[in-house]
Amino acid sequence: MLVARYSAVAHRTAHLLGAGAEAEDVVQEAFVKAYRHLAGFRRDSAFRPWLLRIVANETHNLTRGRGRRAELAVRLGQEPEGSGPEDPAGAAVAADRSARLLAAVRALPDREREAVVCRYFLQLSEAETAEVLGCPVGSVKSRTFRGLRRLREEVGRELL
Amino acid sequence: MNSSENNSFDDLEAELLALGAMIDVPPPPADLAATVRARLPEPVPSRRPRWTARRIAAVLAAFLVVLVAATPQGRAAVVSVLRFAGVQINVEEQPGPLPTGLPSPLPGERRVTLEQARAQVTFPLATLAALPAPDDVRVADGGRVVSMFWPGVRLDQYHGMLTDIWRKELGPPFPESTFVNGVTGVWIPRQHGLEYLPAGGGPPQPMRLAGPTLIWQRGQVGMRLEGPPTLAEARVIADSVR
Repeated sequence: MLVARYSAVAHRTAHLLGAGAEAEDVVQEAFVKAYRHLAGFRRDSAFRPWLLRIVANETHNLTRGRGRRAELAVRLGQEPEGSGPEDPAGAAVAADRSARLLAAVRALPDREREAVVCRYFLQLSEAETAEVLGCPVGSVKSRTFRGLRRLREEVGRELL
Repeated sequence: MNSSENNSFDDLEAELLALGAMIDVPPPPADLAATVRARLPEPVPSRRPRWTARRIAAVLAAFLVVLVAATPQGRAAVVSVLRFAGVQINVEEQPGPLPTGLPSPLPGERRVTLEQARAQVTFPLATLAALPAPDDVRVADGGRVVSMFWPGVRLDQYHGMLTDIWRKELGPPFPESTFVNGVTGVWIPRQHGLEYLPAGGGPPQPMRLAGPTLIWQRGQVGMRLEGPPTLAEARVIADSVR
């Protein structure tokens, strides 16, 4: 069933777009809606971005309903192992750098943050991002670009 | 490391991708499928008329698909074309046999040193930090392509992405999209046919057998890395571009 196949990516999307602990509810609601509207789904388009768009809309509804800003409430996991022998000081610097970059992403304006999250954290293509966020590809490009520029201003000077 | 103001965001993009991979998201609940199923309404018997125009069109279309798929000419026509970074990739449902024979040199191909190659091309030439100095460097087709060779590995760098410079023929599966240095790349995991399309529009070189290949672009330069058997190995090499 589709739920089994797409639940992980849907869950991750809801989380990263700001649903936080309510991601479970969002994903459940999204699957129910997706099922109801399956007839409206065009056969020639990809299922994944279509579903993720419903997830994104649900997340929007949720955060708007709460009357507060969508938050990127995530924490950093362990870095993948096997990255070679590293000195602890270097690892600490790298961890600090990641935390600051994440904080900067969190502080981006909503539209830019969504574009950056879709493009890099969810690794969607520009076309998929456009479909998920319901905007033209050009807007995805410009939002991503503005987001990257802002990130570089925030953390770039000393880090990159 | 921070170079000019309007340089690309490659490094920042790569860092964001790495950061994304480090982000922990709790796994979805295991009983999600059951919960969703419980909330779905019972299937309602359809009240729509049996023969809507849409349905007739669908049946006709299905018939045409069967017809096309059943004829040899139709089968040959079932092809998806992907154009990426100066490479035209034809994915055929039923590809012909793989080409045989040794690769013939590209038009006007000459052996040069790395320095000579740098002087002869108009685009910035990349080197790979993950590999030693190349055994062989060649410039071809009036400085349009530079090829570097290591045992079992070949890197082609070529200028201009608007025209097709290479053409590939392969069967399923469809090439995999990936990220190289923070930009989109395409990975072809199998052996396939490859031909070079000369700059002047002359006849293509005879198609040769190519190994697994990773394609991406670096600024305005197309990159074609052939030889590493897995995507992981190819990415290690590709990420070391300097």
